[in-house]
Amino acid sequence: MRYLARRFAFYVVTAWAALTLNFLIPRLMPGDPVQALLSRFRGRLDPRATEALTAMFGLNDESMWSQYRTYLVDLTKGDFGLSFTFFPTPVSTVILDSLLWTIVLVGVSTVVSFAVGTLLGIVAGWRRGTRWDHLLPITTFFSSIPYFWFGLIVLFVLSGELRLFPLAGGYSSWLSVDFSWPFLSSAFKHAVLPGLTIVVASVAGWLIPMRNMMVTTMSDDYVVLAEAKGLSPRRVMLNYAARNAILPSVATFTMSLGFVVGGAVLTEIVFSYPGIGNTLYQAVINEDFPLMQGIFLIITFVVLLANFLADLVYVWLDPRTRVEA
Amino acid sequence: MAVQAVAGATPEPAARPEAVAARRSWFAGLRSAKTITGLAILGVFVVAGAFGPMVWRTDPSALSDDVLQPPSGAHWFGTTQTGQDIFAQVLVGTRVSLLVGVTAAVMATVLSLIVGLTAGYVGGLTDELLSALANVFLVIPALPLVVVLAGYLPTRGSLTVAVVISLTGWSWGARILRAQTLSIRRRDFIEAARATGERPARILLFEILPNEMAIVASSFLFTIVFAILTQAGLAFLGLSDVTTWSWGGILYWAQNNQALQSGAWWWFVPPGLCIALIGTALAFVNFGIDEYVNPRLRVRGFHPRKSRRVRRTAPKQVVQDAGAAGDVLLEVTGLRVDYGDGPNAVHAVDGVDLVLRRGEVLGVAGESGSGKSTLAYAITRLLRPPGQVVAGEIRYWPTSAGPVDVLKMSDAELRAFRWAQLAIVFQSAMNSLNPVLRLREQLGDALIDHGPGMTPGQRQKRIAEVMTMVGLPTDRADAYPHELSGGMRQRALIAMALVLEPDILVLDEPTTALDVVVQRQILTKIMNLREQLGFAVVFITHDLSLLIEVADRIAVMYAGRIIETSTAKQLYEAPRHPYSDGLLHSFPLLHGPRRVLTGIPGAPPDLRLRSAGCAFQPRCTQAMAACTTTIPLLSATNLPTEAPDHQVACLLYQDGEGR
Repeated sequence: MRYLARRFAFYVVTAWAALTLNFLIPRLMPGDPVQALLSRFRGRLDPRATEALTAMFGLNDESMWSQYRTYLVDLTKGDFGLSFTFFPTPVSTVILDSLLWTIVLVGVSTVVSFAVGTLLGIVAGWRRGTRWDHLLPITTFFSSIPYFWFGLIVLFVLSGELRLFPLAGGYSSWLSVDFSWPFLSSAFKHAVLPGLTIVVASVAGWLIPMRNMMVTTMSDDYVVLAEAKGLSPRRVMLNYAARNAILPSVATFTMSLGFVVGGAVLTEIVFSYPGIGNTLYQAVINEDFPLMQGIFLIITFVVLLANFLADLVYVWLDPRTRVEA
Repeated sequence: MAVQAVAGATPEPAARPEAVAARRSWFAGLRSAKTITGLAILGVFVVAGAFGPMVWRTDPSALSDDVLQPPSGAHWFGTTQTGQDIFAQVLVGTRVSLLVGVTAAVMATVLSLIVGLTAGYVGGLTDELLSALANVFLVIPALPLVVVLAGYLPTRGSLTVAVVISLTGWSWGARILRAQTLSIRRRDFIEAARATGERPARILLFEILPNEMAIVASSFLFTIVFAILTQAGLAFLGLSDVTTWSWGGILYWAQNNQALQSGAWWWFVPPGLCIALIGTALAFVNFGIDEYVNPRLRVRGFHPRKSRRVRRTAPKQVVQDAGAAGDVLLEVTGLRVDYGDGPNAVHAVDGVDLVLRRGEVLGVAGESGSGKSTLAYAITRLLRPPGQVVAGEIRYWPTSAGPVDVLKMSDAELRAFRWAQLAIVFQSAMNSLNPVLRLREQLGDALIDHGPGMTPGQRQKRIAEVMTMVGLPTDRADAYPHELSGGMRQRALIAMALVLEPDILVLDEPTTALDVVVQRQILTKIMNLREQLGFAVVFITHDLSLLIEVADRIAVMYAGRIIETSTAKQLYEAPRHPYSDGLLHSFPLLHGPRRVLTGIPGAPPDLRLRSAGCAFQPRCTQAMAACTTTIPLLSATNLPTEAPDHQVACLLYQDGEGR
């Protein structure tokens, strides 16, 4: 399991890099943004918030190094500071409230998009030179559409004009958040359109590479041999061509996921979805720096975790990574 | 180091320095309909962005009384809530969005070139660190990072936004450029340049970079799309300066003024469509680049499932019914295989006649490019476009019934025929085994698809049987191909071929990749198995001396034709064709007396250039005047003592115009 150990080490390094980046960004930005914020809000901000900000962004006279130490120690305690949009709620609480919404929405849409895109890619590659080739330009077009623009049009047509789906939010506001049937069905209805937006806009990102890998793999010797063996076309397509063609798709999951997460942030904002992307937007427009940074870290960590899951799948799919050496 | 683990996914580094092939494929990429469409759309946007605002002189910010007008002659895209002309805004927006996109992409590409080339060329610790950096940036989700960065920015002008975007968008390009540089650096021409002491900067700029242009271009275009989309997202969120008109900025104002809700679709739709169109256009151009980098994507109508009917160009030849003799198993008549269509088609197999009798070993010998492997692929109907059988018959004689033409079989008939009657062993054992399936599964799946009646227990028993037969320990059944040695892989392939007890085994250079000792073991094994099981063998190799030892009869191929055929013994004792004679003296015999090796002068012919005469004539030491004008046909020789089945295609042994 050296492969997984190496990957894990890489994610630890990346997590540390993200932490450090997060620490450095506000301190290295031109124009001292935190100071500027404090002077702009002088008198209007709760004094305790001012104090917290001052401490958090090192406007007191501590050295960079001791600030960095305090920052890391605070983080291990799950202390991201206080949000001042939702003052005095701790940032961690605000994040926890919205995180699950995003994980479910983006997680399910990504899995659906991956499954649909990969399947269509397999067939489009296998049947190249037929009408399936038209899938390419069509999905390319959809993948070039900005998520938020497509989301707004879908929202306007399906919710606004046809009234098929709710206009905003993650559930009907009169329901309490629990695992009751009315709440779950309401949450599902609210999630359909944002989910659809994410799937439609991201499906080409899986389909096109998969199709191209299928085409490339289909001239490999083992696929030709499988055909020479007189195996059923289904078996040649799935067990020989697709089974190998899918490996790069899983290996490049990282990059594709990055795009989906970015798009999902915008999608949540458009649909006023109670997820972490929307909260990030609130934080940015309110210049709520602690919340902004906390969310950035959490999104990065969740993405790292998702990537590690993808690595597990990769190891499961490719026996060559399981070599003990 | 961990960071290299995902690098296996980089595109096939196929941009080779061979200029001619590259130029041809570059044009092929350009010719594709998608690339042309992409370039055309791109051109329209560039022209609109560059000259649009000069021609359509309406000030995009000017207010007027024409409030929320739908598209009309005066306002092509209608007006906003304050009477601004949306077409003017979109034109300026095109300019701004393209500029931000291109600026960010240029900066990101420069960054990724510096990082990718340095990491790939210098290697060692520098590579580890730079790769780690690139991978870290690749994993950190870009948009949230951009949003956070933008959140702190005091000013958010277009240039600042472009810088921020380029800082988050360089890592993908850096990674694929590093992989590409690594692979190019190992090539001979770079090693040569390094050995002659060229300066690294010079090697990088003049030797490596030109071979990476396709990938640089592809990642550049890709970054433009990324930058335009990101800028639009930022502007839409109000996180970039929305007083400069960009596509995202227009959408910001449209959304804040509830354009859609008030029915003003013309305000909301055009900017989004522009973004989608430019993204599509750039992706289309990238398809062309993909096809250039990866030639396998270029072939059209690849799908092998459709059975290709043989076009009959010549009237059917009268062949004597060889099957009447009773022991004929496979009979190839007038087989012609072309690569490509029309006048540029290469005739790789040019009118081949062959007879394979039950239980015999038929050797097919020839240099690389002689068409011998193409012949194997044609017989098994495994040719991929552009290769196609254009004429001929391949008749298979089952024991019980009359002959069937393999080329006319339906897909289902062909599947049933394959492996059960005719199995093949390819030359590269590593590439012929599916890397992700255990041996057991690869041995067993043919049993499942061909013999539906078998129980799992019977299948396992059969798998163990064939493995023992070829000398593979049965406990290796659960191994993956990469866990086997080269010799074991070749044995596994032979076991696989025998699993259904075929009548015919086609061996296409089955032992070239192996060392001599293993070669010998495997050959002996195959020949013993043949005696035991009684299948016939078509043995294809460049090694004529090997065939002399193992084959019953031998056909020598040159330039797509059979130029001599006879029994192995006769061929060894009295090769007639000057080419066979040369071949026979270019390899040492594994057994027997020592001989002087002579070889054949010259190089194999270029099949694209057809000559009017004998294809071997330019290299032939005994060529005559007639050889340049007459193509000799395969026929019995004019030597009175010669056995009738010793046939030669050479004017030296034919009466008539040559004499």
